[in-house]
Formats: sequence, structure tokens, C-alpha cells
Amino acid sequence: MTGRKILMNFEVTPDSHTLGAYLGRGGYQTIAKVLREMKPEDVTKEIVASGIQGRGGAAFPAGRKWQVVDPHDGQPHFLIANADEGEPGTFKDRWVLEHSPHTLLESMLVAAYALAARHTFVYIRGEFDQPYTRLAAAVEEAYAAGYFGENILGSGFSCDVYVFRGAGAYVCGEASSLLASIEGSRGYPRNRPPRLTVKGLFQRPTVVNNVETLSNLAWIIAHGAEEYRKVGTPKSPGTRLISISGHIQRPGVYEVEMGYSWAKFLHEDCGGVLHGRKLKALIPGGISSQVLTGHGAKVLTADSVDSLLLDHQALWDVGSSLGSGGMIAIAEGTCMVRLLQVMLRFYHHESCGQCTPCREGMGWAHRIIDRIVSGEGRPEDIDRLLHISKFNDGTTICGLGDAAGYATIAFIEHFRDEFEYLIEHKRSKNDGRLECLPEVANA
Amino acid sequence: MPEIFINGQPYEADPDQTVLQVALANGIYVPYFCWHPQLSVAGNCRICMIEEEGRGVDIGCNMPVKAGMRVLTESEEVRSHRKAILQFITLNHPVDCGICDKAGECVLQDYHYEYNGSPSMSGDPKVRSTKFYDLSDRIVLDNERCILCSRCVRFTHEISKSHGLGIEQRADVSLVRPSTDGSFRDDPYSDNVVDICPVGALLSRSFFYKARVWYLTKTPSVCPGCERGCRIDIWHRKPEWQVQSLDTGENTAIARITPHENSEVNGPWICNKGRDLARIFERRRADGAMLKGKPASVAEAATEARRLIKAAARPVALVSSWGSNEELEAFRASLGSMFTALVKPDHLPAAGEVLEDDLLIRPDKNPNTGKARELFGTAPAVIPADADLVLVWGEGCDFSKIPAGARIILLGSWLAPENGHADVFIPVSIQTERSGHYTNCQGVVSGFEACFPRAPGVADAEALFAQLAGAAP
Repeated sequence: MTGRKILMNFEVTPDSHTLGAYLGRGGYQTIAKVLREMKPEDVTKEIVASGIQGRGGAAFPAGRKWQVVDPHDGQPHFLIANADEGEPGTFKDRWVLEHSPHTLLESMLVAAYALAARHTFVYIRGEFDQPYTRLAAAVEEAYAAGYFGENILGSGFSCDVYVFRGAGAYVCGEASSLLASIEGSRGYPRNRPPRLTVKGLFQRPTVVNNVETLSNLAWIIAHGAEEYRKVGTPKSPGTRLISISGHIQRPGVYEVEMGYSWAKFLHEDCGGVLHGRKLKALIPGGISSQVLTGHGAKVLTADSVDSLLLDHQALWDVGSSLGSGGMIAIAEGTCMVRLLQVMLRFYHHESCGQCTPCREGMGWAHRIIDRIVSGEGRPEDIDRLLHISKFNDGTTICGLGDAAGYATIAFIEHFRDEFEYLIEHKRSKNDGRLECLPEVANA
Repeated sequence: MPEIFINGQPYEADPDQTVLQVALANGIYVPYFCWHPQLSVAGNCRICMIEEEGRGVDIGCNMPVKAGMRVLTESEEVRSHRKAILQFITLNHPVDCGICDKAGECVLQDYHYEYNGSPSMSGDPKVRSTKFYDLSDRIVLDNERCILCSRCVRFTHEISKSHGLGIEQRADVSLVRPSTDGSFRDDPYSDNVVDICPVGALLSRSFFYKARVWYLTKTPSVCPGCERGCRIDIWHRKPEWQVQSLDTGENTAIARITPHENSEVNGPWICNKGRDLARIFERRRADGAMLKGKPASVAEAATEARRLIKAAARPVALVSSWGSNEELEAFRASLGSMFTALVKPDHLPAAGEVLEDDLLIRPDKNPNTGKARELFGTAPAVIPADADLVLVWGEGCDFSKIPAGARIILLGSWLAPENGHADVFIPVSIQTERSGHYTNCQGVVSGFEACFPRAPGVADAEALFAQLAGAAP
């Protein structure tokens, strides 16, 4: 087991996602308590005290974001649950949406009350089919039961929720382009300042939180910040939903308590690397794990994993981050050059094309890596890739531009010999393998 | 007023200014592509990098002023970033300056020499894209040259409000495209996107491959297309680059018309009608005086006109609303006491022309009606039935309304069937051949200067009026 549970604390059955099952687990009692006993400021105070960090990738303290919004300033506020889970390797929010949509909805009510948000949105990834169906059904149920709409539970508080489906752009998972998408315009990120909590959706103060972050709130309010702080580590309280995929025996979504041993998680809970191989590298939190934090490598090599604890601070200390919780295990014998090619193709394809460094740089990097893989690489190509990555970091409007360069830098830093080998010998050191097949291949 | 330090020097700043604005206002140049003083901040070209000491580089166009902040515009960090951004921008730009109309006034060209100067770091083929894409029948788009600064898109959203342009696709295959409802084609301000395009992606059909801009010079002028009187620049060949053979008409032709930026009247914009003034000015000219259709010299015609004026009992004058302030005053000084003067509109709105809008276009399609009415009154231009002499100055007179038997003196500039029917016809100069001023609908006086010499057989109206009044020829 991976420590104490906050979200996955019930058995998944064919109807565990329904309102009836949720009420049976004590659902919607928190919002009733909040509406009855608490003031908006108290809720915010409790969330700040809990120290919960954003689960979308940047790990910014959620309460600090909320404090910028004054619930009594008289203007409309908006709350948005970011369910545009597009980061490669990440599928943890999907679990919440499919199996516990009411946890999200109740938590959103709590947040909406604290922020005085009359209208809330769930921006859900367009490709999500089952999660959308279940969430939409949950919204219907919640409205029918009087948890949304006018005068909720007779408290005088009114709140509506809209489920908005994205159109399939990775960049719309970035908070400001998500807002642009809801407003009906092109999904382009916006320049900061102003921050979204000052001028967000329709130029009004807006809080955008990840689905997982929001889903924790009902528990925090129900049990109190102090109780929440007892879970996890002092600097990173709580649990994380980790979606693990790649060359691993038991891929899937796990709820892991912060501070849990990484090696134990990989080798025991997830059953170790596929076919008993050794771990070559681990992408800890989505291929852009560094989304907003900045510097250093984001791919962990096998040695560094063993001694690590699963917690934000521990990863920052080794120059990576827990990011969006989308873990990808890479087994020994995988061609890192081809893997980088796959990533750069993704970044090229998903670059929104708004600002110069990412628009031109990602295409450039993609063309270079394509050439290297096809055996037409030139020695100076490695420096070109590093140059592109260096000048993408910190020069773009949104964090995705920064992140796009991290993979390249980390891959070249740790596996430069594979790149050089491919350029020199015009064939991959690992036969260009991306799959992890049972033995024989190692002969 | 917060004070900020740019390159170590203190400068006064407005709290709602950006660092880029403060720098530019104080003569510190920071390069920019997507920023435009009249448009919203897009912050997408990333060339205006400024280093805030202790905080690293960020774009200047979106950097708010904070009291006491210290920024650097020429640090090593800033230079290396600019250079890298220019490498990115020129990565897929075709660099076909040799055949680009924008060459010579292209900021990408200037910045490349100023801030980059090295050849492309990439040896890979450039991304190919659409060339010669017709955004409308006036504007050609070259998507390969486009650097996606979005100035044109923002112009149609924020200034002309036609919402006629947008960006399609993503990443380095993004394309500027017109909206499918044709609103860009109908946008009366569409040609401004050619001016604000920092590179040669948007080009004017009427100027397409016409001239290299360094062969041209500009003369400040005023658009006579409506009573707004926008200030414009008329571009024509430089005297030292006159064509000696082939079509020498090029030497006195209008190459193109651009706005003459000013804060009083039209800012940096003009409408498409203003771009097409050549269609008005370059109609076939009347090049000689006539007496009832028979060629005569200007002097002979003036003598005959003077005789008619002296003999008339009830002379009426239709004054041109295209006359300059100087001409109108000369008319009043010389002939005002002899004639019943009525102001006539020389031009009425053409079929399909935009009558009026919120930006610049005004319903009266004559530049100086206001001044003319101030001098000659607002009576409608209806010729009294007992008039026995009618002096028509300029266009727009319905000759069927002139009482039968009345003699006609016509002062016109262009060939027209009426010219030969007038008892006296004297050709007069047009705006591009003389200097003067117009007073626009807001009361702002704008001056224009001569671009081309006046033809020998053509009179100058200002001098002619004194002649007609009987002063020494």
C-alpha cells in the first residue's frame, strides 16, 4: 500500500461514481457544513493553513492563489477546474472524473463559496469520453438534488457549474489559454501581468485549479487543516495521484502519500520494470514536469531514483519536479534519441504558434532530431538543440515554451553518447527501440 | 510620478506606462515587431527583451513601471537574447529582400544588420508556405515572409473592427487568413495592414513590384476624399531618379499614398479611398484653354472671361469645395463683390462608398466645404433663374440646371464633355501641383505641398482670380 488515502478511499464498483454512492460515503455534508457554519474567509484560511500545493504541475500553494481574490469586492469571480489533462503520461484527473466526479463538484462548491464565484466551469479535455459522460451525469444529479443552482440548501448561496469541452489543444491546459478558449477565442496564452486572479476570464478575477487540487478541498474542510497536515511531509502535505505508464509491470493510477519511498513505489507497488529489466530513466511528472519551476534536468536516471522520497521538495532538490504526476518508466535498452524525437514531435505539433521562440524553435528542433534519427545528423546538431532549448527557457509567454526545452537538455545531458553514436555511425545504439520486449532482444 | 533607471540613468515615468514606452519616449531605442502604439500588447515577437537587474530578461512591451526599478536595454544578456530571437524569426523567413517591395523600409532587415548580422544557424530547408495569397483584391499575402506578429489581426479587431483577419493552424504552419464572410474585403481601412506589417508579408496590389522605395520620396499632403482631411504622404520618384526613357509619365505619377502620422486628425491611419487618390488625380487632364470649344491661350481666355463678367447683370459663381483656403480667400478678395457666390459640393458619395463611420470617414466627400461656407455662406447651390452669367469653379455642376441663355465660364482640371460647351474654359491646377491648406470638419488646418510641376497651359486658380477681376494680367 502506498500510504494513507484521501481520494481513493473507497472501493470502485460499477456504481460508485453515482450520487447515491457518494452520499453513502458522507458526500455533500461538507458543503452543508460550510454553508451553515463558515464564512468565505474561514474556508480560505483553512485551505491556506492546510498548505496544499497545486497538483497541475507548478505546485504553487493553492491558498496563496485564493488570497489574491477578495470575495467582497463586488465584481464577479470565476472558478475553473482545469480538467484539460493533456500532459503526455498524465491520466490521474481522469480517475477522479470517472470514479469520483461528485468529490470534484462538492469541492468546487466549497471553493466557489470561498471565492464568491457565482459561476464555475469544468474545462474538460475534448478527447475524454467516459470522464465527460460521467461528469455530465454527475452534474445533472447534483442539480436535481439541489446542490447547484439558486439558493443551495436554503443558504442563500447560488452557484452554477458549466462543463466546457476543449477542442483538443495541449496549450489549452495552460490556465490563460484555457480562459481564451472558454471566451470563444483562439487558445493563445496571455502575457502576465496581469495575473489571472486579477484579470482572468472576461477580465474578472479568476481562479484556475487542477481537478486533483480541488478534489482534496472537501476532505480538508471536512477533517480540518491540521488533520491534513498530518498526511504527507511538512513541506508537501497530503497525497498525490500518480499515473504511471511506460515500461512498468502494473501501470495505472495510484494515490501515494507524500514522502513515500520512490523505490518502494516503483519496485513493489508497481511491480518493477517490465520483464525484469533495469530502469534506465524515469520521467517523474509528465514530459514537461518542470512546467513553471525553471531549471535543471527533469529526467531522473536509475541511480537517483532509488534514494528519493516522493515529494515536491525532494524532487526540486535534485533538479526535477513532481509536475503533473504523470510518471513514465523507461527500461534499459530504450533508444533515448528516438524517445526525444517522439517528444519533440509532440511539442512541435502542439506549439500554439503565438510567440516566436517556441513556434520556430520547436519546428527547428523537430527537424533536427528527425534528421539525426534518419542517419543524417551532423556533429553540430547537438549544440543546435541545446541552443534552441536554452533560448526557449524564459523567453516565451507561457510555461509550456520553457518546458519544451527541458526534455532536450536533460536527454542530451544524460545520454549524450547515444546522440553522438547515432550521428557518427548512422544507426542507433539501441536499435531505435521504444518498446520493451521480453528477453531474446538482448542477445 | 515614479522614477525608473534605464541603463543607470533616471527617467520620469507615468505609472501606467510600460518600460518600453518610457525607453522610446526618452530616445532609448528598443527593437520591436508586434508592439504598436495604437494596438493592444500582444507580446509575441519577444524581440523587445529588457533586463531588469536581479530579475533577468523579459519583454519590455508588457513590463509595468515600478518606482525605482533598474533596467538595462543593452546588456550582454539582452543582446544574446535578441540575437537568438532574430535567428528564430529568420529561420523560416525566405530573406528574398531582392524581390520584396518592403526592402528598404523593413524593420526585420534593419534589425538583422543592427542586432544579429550572422548567417542562419540552420542548414535545414525552410518551411514552405503560401505565396501570393489574395486577402482581397487590394492586398497580397506572402505567408513565408510573415512573422506572425498579429498586428494586422489586431488592427481589424481593434481599429477597423471588421474582424476580417485571423490566424489559422498552429505552430510554424500558422497562417494569417481572412474571415470567410468577406468582411476583410469590405473593410474600408484594410490597406493600413500593409503599413503596419513589419515585414513584406502584406503587400499592396496597386504598388506591387512598382518601385524600389529608395527611388521614391514623399511629399506631405492632405486627402481631399472627405471633410476629415486626413494628412497623407504622396510618394513619387525622387528628382535624381527620374526615368529618362520608356514611360516618362512615371516621373509625375503617384506611386503610392500612405498616412502622414499625426495626433490631431487621423493618427497613423487612412481609409482605402485615400490610398486610391491617383484614381481621382490621374484622370485625363484638360491641358488647354478653350473659347466655345476652340483652343485659345490662357491669356485670351482670361480676357474674354473678364469681358463677360463686366457685361453681366446678374452673375452667379459656383465656388469649389475643393479649393484651398488660399484660393477661396483669393476668390472672395478679387471676385466676391461681383458675384453671387454659392458653395457647391464638387463630389457626391459614389455608389457603394462608405458614407460615414466612427473612425475617420465623413459623409461630405469634399475637403474644404467648411471653409468655403464660412466665406460664402451656406445657401444651397441652386442657380437663380435670372442669372445671365455662371462661373463654375471645379466639378459637380449639373449644366442642365444653368438657365438657358446664361453665359458660362468654366474653371476645370480634367477632361469633361462640358468643357467645350462653356463660353470660356480655363484649365486650373490640381492639388498635387500647388501648395495650400484645407480646413477640415474639426477646424484643423492641414497643409499640402506641390509634388509635380504645373503644365504650361494650366493656370493657377489663386492668380487667375485676380486676373479675372480686372487687375493687371
